[in-house]
Amino acid sequence: MTTITADHHSDHTHDHHDADHKPAFFQRWFMSTNHKDIGTLYLIFAIFAGVVGGAISGLMRAELAQPGIQYLQGWANIQHAMLGAEPASLDQAYHLWNALITAHGLIMVFFMVMPAIIGGFGNWFVPIMIGAPDMAFPRMNNISFWLLIPAFALLLGSAFVPGGTGYGAGTGWTVYAPLSTSGSAGPAVDMAILSLHIAGAGSILGAVNFITTILNMRAPGMTLHKMPLFVWSVLVTAFLLLLALPVLAAAITMLLTDRNFGTTFYDASGGGDPELYQHLFWFFGHPEVYIMILPGFGIVSQIISTFSKKPVFGYLGMAYAMVAIGVVGFVVWAHHMFTTGMSVNVKMYFTAATMVIAVPTGIKIFSWIATIWGGSISYKTPMVWALGFIFLFTVGGVTGVVLANGGVDDVLHDTYYVVAHFHYVLSLGAVFSLFAGFYYWFPKMSGRMYNEFLGQLHFWVFFVGVNMLFFPMHFLGLSGMPRRYPDYPAAFEKWNSVATHGYEIMAVGMVIFFINVFWSLAAGKKAVGNPWGEGATTLEWTLSSPPPFHQFETLPVIDDAAHH
Amino acid sequence: MNKVKSLVLAGLLAFAPSIAMNGQALAQDNVAAAAAPAADNAAAPADSAANATEAAPVAKVAAPPRMKPTEGIGMPKPGEVTLQEQFTSTGHTARWLHDKMLLPLIFAISILVLALMLYAMWKFRASANPIPSKTSHNTLIEVVWTVLPVLILLVVAVPSIGLLADQYKPAPKDALTVKVTGYQWYWGYEYPDAGIPEFVSNMLTEEQANASGEPHQLAADNRLVLPVGRPIKLIITGADVIHSFAVPSLWVKMDAVPGRLNEKSFTIEKPGVYYGQCSELCGARHGFMPIAIEALPPAQFDQWVLSQGGKLPGAAPAAAETAQAAAPAAAPVADAKL
Amino acid sequence: MATLPPSPFDRDRRNRRTMMAMAGVGLSMLALGFASVPLYRIFCEQTGFGGTTKRASADVQVREAVGHTMSIRFDSNVQPGMPWQFYPEHRTDTVTVGRKDMAIFIAKNMSDRPVTGTASFNVTPSQAGAYFTKIQCFCFTQQTLQPGQEVRMPVLYFVDPKILDDPDNKDTQQITLSYTFYPVEQDKKPS
Repeated sequence: MTTITADHHSDHTHDHHDADHKPAFFQRWFMSTNHKDIGTLYLIFAIFAGVVGGAISGLMRAELAQPGIQYLQGWANIQHAMLGAEPASLDQAYHLWNALITAHGLIMVFFMVMPAIIGGFGNWFVPIMIGAPDMAFPRMNNISFWLLIPAFALLLGSAFVPGGTGYGAGTGWTVYAPLSTSGSAGPAVDMAILSLHIAGAGSILGAVNFITTILNMRAPGMTLHKMPLFVWSVLVTAFLLLLALPVLAAAITMLLTDRNFGTTFYDASGGGDPELYQHLFWFFGHPEVYIMILPGFGIVSQIISTFSKKPVFGYLGMAYAMVAIGVVGFVVWAHHMFTTGMSVNVKMYFTAATMVIAVPTGIKIFSWIATIWGGSISYKTPMVWALGFIFLFTVGGVTGVVLANGGVDDVLHDTYYVVAHFHYVLSLGAVFSLFAGFYYWFPKMSGRMYNEFLGQLHFWVFFVGVNMLFFPMHFLGLSGMPRRYPDYPAAFEKWNSVATHGYEIMAVGMVIFFINVFWSLAAGKKAVGNPWGEGATTLEWTLSSPPPFHQFETLPVIDDAAHH
Repeated sequence: MNKVKSLVLAGLLAFAPSIAMNGQALAQDNVAAAAAPAADNAAAPADSAANATEAAPVAKVAAPPRMKPTEGIGMPKPGEVTLQEQFTSTGHTARWLHDKMLLPLIFAISILVLALMLYAMWKFRASANPIPSKTSHNTLIEVVWTVLPVLILLVVAVPSIGLLADQYKPAPKDALTVKVTGYQWYWGYEYPDAGIPEFVSNMLTEEQANASGEPHQLAADNRLVLPVGRPIKLIITGADVIHSFAVPSLWVKMDAVPGRLNEKSFTIEKPGVYYGQCSELCGARHGFMPIAIEALPPAQFDQWVLSQGGKLPGAAPAAAETAQAAAPAAAPVADAKL
Repeated sequence: MATLPPSPFDRDRRNRRTMMAMAGVGLSMLALGFASVPLYRIFCEQTGFGGTTKRASADVQVREAVGHTMSIRFDSNVQPGMPWQFYPEHRTDTVTVGRKDMAIFIAKNMSDRPVTGTASFNVTPSQAGAYFTKIQCFCFTQQTLQPGQEVRMPVLYFVDPKILDDPDNKDTQQITLSYTFYPVEQDKKPS
């Protein structure tokens, strides 16, 4: 949607120092202030955390493949043996289950999706797309990343200290009081809470950095209404982070003091209210799901436009739909609490407000379809992932409309229907957008082309796998299977077994992904500056692949005649 | 611009509850009408049982035989893909809303999106359409796809809000009140008006469940026994952490929160065994504290109450507080106390 | 605002200003998170949210709604492990809406040591909370029982006649008032 008039490739010739001058290894990767290097670090971290979180879900699917307890006892015994403790009791094995679901949720949310989509792609491409040489605060950027490492270490370490009945924090990712206070003795929950504090602090710093960068560092001519939609999505996301995460920080700080210092913020025995924690958590938690999906919207918009060779349809509507989703996202939180005993008017309000979200979301879905309509579509791997995203996100979105009805939620709340819903929007939504973005920008980031065949194969195997994994969960939820259960009545066996087979297929897809990544990094074709042709109009495609270590030392000028 | 319109319309939708209130009043009248005969039913057996009390000493009454569950009723069916069969009026309304309104709607939207995508993907593939159009605006169509979802949501909101009102309709004061308490990790049931003290309900082991012909993971030793056709009010609380009392076939799910009371009212339509499971993560054995409800015809329910040493409403005038609960005319007695 | 002055000095100053503003926003949200504790309590007390009851002084004047009665149910709980018996004298009572009434709860310390307790409370249905008004209640203060001591604890309350005009309470025939007693541990400070 923008055309570039300045010839900034001349940067190389007249600069006082070489734009490609890179610091030594330790300096470059451990003390990095370069947005692209930090982005790379974030992506590597997110892939590692994703493997850990994915492996945990593999354990969960293995146990759930059939009724009865098959493996849990054995895993708990291994865990206990590692710690030199006695073999686990049955209750301790059940507790391990709760620790697994908690770890899976926290890792995927805080250590996989957020670092990859905001830290990884946001860092790599927001400065480039707005024509900035780097982030506004490069050193703060470094701190944001390195805070993740101790946070992750604390979370993983919490699995090996007492957390109530057994080892590890078994509170669910929501950490509801009083299960997380009086119900979980031992340091595991404290460690998990501190982990969230640290990861949250890093994200808040990152959010401030992104907001400052986007508001102040745009190249001449790059007005807000000319910014690529991915930048818009990161801007909205950064505001959501900035407004939501401090509330979580306050909420879990009070959990810590309730646990350790005798306060009773959430304890009815001292005049507190456990429901208050849920209100605070979901005031953060609902915007959090948009934090995970909005940058995905941005990525998909870029890709759809590139491979349709058309500008995004209804650019302003798309940008402000994201703003609307962000705003409405702050006033719907209690739809996560429909069964807590709220009064009828409150439930009616949250039902109606939640359904309103379907409107801007619908605008986005239809605008994407209108973008490919009349285009000249080439089905490269990123495009295939982006199209998959649109359909699967729609499926996840419409089940959200069902769940929004407070009356219907009375039977679906905390069942597998909810699990299916949020995995469709996150595991098939956010993750599909992550893969789409990864393939889209892989040539730009690495300087090498990925293998097209393996990319397409990865898509189809993964697509079949995750749908087989998550679609049957709708059936399980409708017929009443509660979430967070390690065992279930025999009637639920069929769809659980199908889901586990789906997981196996998905895992094969992930193997293909890793083969593709390693093969392409080692032997992929050298990528040109713009491998996607005329449809790729954003600034990153005007640079070499990979871009010079420092880009835009002479700022590019964005043509006023740009159309959209 | 279209986004402004979308915001205005979204705002309108947020006011949908007030519009829908009229519809809700209608729904409530219907329910009230339906509930009336049920109350009559409840009164009749109470009288007959009162006679029975005089005839036989309370403790000697034998409990009715343990009811056998019907396969696929009150429990999930193997390989089921949709909601369980419902046995309360809210359950019917809600299931209607889901099956007849929401499900077709979400299928239609998903298929519409898929069809549009597949058509565009085929029609506008690069080989068939080498020159892309440059269209990036169409105000009319943008307004349409903003307004249309709003209208659809308004249509959904009316029955949805009505259902909520239905669910929140409090039970009449002569409803059978049962106190439900969630513990780590079992349920406790108390019948305050009948004077039946709290008893606890634990999950049966696999062997026990198989022996009594019940589904493992759902079967419990002491069931919550309730009458059919009589309004029931559960008052629910938690003793330690938050639990959630859930029975899918009765459309019931209510959190059991320590330090506060919640209530849930419903009337069961048919005798049977209805199973449910704890639905809020409550610690290690969260998955192993099922709920089993045995719904008995009124006469048998009264027999059960007597077998537990309980009193029937109106049976023992000496127990003033019990009598008051059942008799609305007792108001002056209460006033005299001050 | 879009045409950026190229001077890096200007830009750094603007960046710092934006950062400070954003840090202010973040800190305000943090403060709001903590402030939500009193705000939530005030909100609940004002609106009856979650079945929170109202409180009135003893000389409050209310109009009696003659002929309109409400059944009141009393529910009692003791935290597991607390050595008290605690139960209402009457399970239910029928009151005229707007008339002040008194209910008695009986508590007995079953242990051989003094035990101090404090009670949490709410009413159901939750939409009735805004109309259930207590004038005097044992739950306003801590109660200490000596070993074996039994006390009768009064609650003086009335149901606000405004409940009759509230469409949400059209079908409310019975209000349940519930108490849960907790032992007061010396290391727990009320929040």
